[in-house]
Amino acid sequence: MVQVVFSPKWFWGKDIFIDSIALLVLLCIAIFATKYYRIKKSRNYLYLALSFYLIALSFFSKILINFTIYYQVLHTQIIGSIEYTQVVLKSSEVLAFSGLFFYRLFTLLGLFALYSIYEKQSKANIILMSYFIIISTFLSTGEYYIFYLTCLIFLGVISNRYYQNYRKNKEKTSGMLAASFSVITLSQIFFMLVNFTKHFYVVAEAIQLLGYILLLVTFIMVLKHGREKNKSRHH
Amino acid sequence: MEGKRTRVDIIEDMLSSIISKGGRIKPTHLMYKSNMSHGQMKTYLDGLVQKELVKKVKEGHYEYVTITDKGHEFVQKLKQMREFEKAFGL
Repeated sequence: MVQVVFSPKWFWGKDIFIDSIALLVLLCIAIFATKYYRIKKSRNYLYLALSFYLIALSFFSKILINFTIYYQVLHTQIIGSIEYTQVVLKSSEVLAFSGLFFYRLFTLLGLFALYSIYEKQSKANIILMSYFIIISTFLSTGEYYIFYLTCLIFLGVISNRYYQNYRKNKEKTSGMLAASFSVITLSQIFFMLVNFTKHFYVVAEAIQLLGYILLLVTFIMVLKHGREKNKSRHH
Repeated sequence: MEGKRTRVDIIEDMLSSIISKGGRIKPTHLMYKSNMSHGQMKTYLDGLVQKELVKKVKEGHYEYVTITDKGHEFVQKLKQMREFEKAFGL
């Protein structure tokens, strides 16, 4: 049976709020990367925009599915008859399967696109990795932690790359970016442990929120820093 | 050694050269300051004028290139783009 609800009941809705913040941060970065791609026509910007759009889309799927399950399916279950409940449960499984499938697929594809900016991929590698991503997404339906483990590995490699970049250029924004990705990486460990207790889901969401707030601060710093440098050249 | 300048690098150099001269520069000075050939400079300058990032102004016997508000905004966008590149290691 597909595990549908990961959150404790008291946390319902709060996780949707946290994921909405992540979605907004990801969309902001994706929109700016698209703008810069239009100016520079660089492949790196295209991949960056693509990866952030894909991850944003995955969060959108997660929000949609959680909202439907918390406020439509489960609420209907409580007030409905036994016969009706069975129908609802069956439809909720279909909904959960497809929703979670796309959430996981878009996340992994987005992370792979981000990873590909730094580690150039051959065509054969792209085909191979896409196959593994689809396999991993299917396997995650039964064993949900496989998805978070795959995310952990991708995010770990990307965070390390950002840390190396910080060591090289010593820029504050690079350091902040490395920190935000490291925090998001850490959250994946707690997501993996949700089967032990649902409270780990709350911890994971809280850490993830911190990671995305750091990412937002980094993004604002980048925009502000660029503007300040420009002003100082004017005077 | 630095790699070959991209189209954006050249435009940024041109606009920054104009700003460093107080927003107004003679075309010949712009050519030297931006390290360009005459032909290259003409092509880029026409493009910038067409996009309204700079305009040509005649003062007495001399012609000057001045940066527009749109040009200033574009330079700001480019600076932000550079910061973005540094942060993400692009």
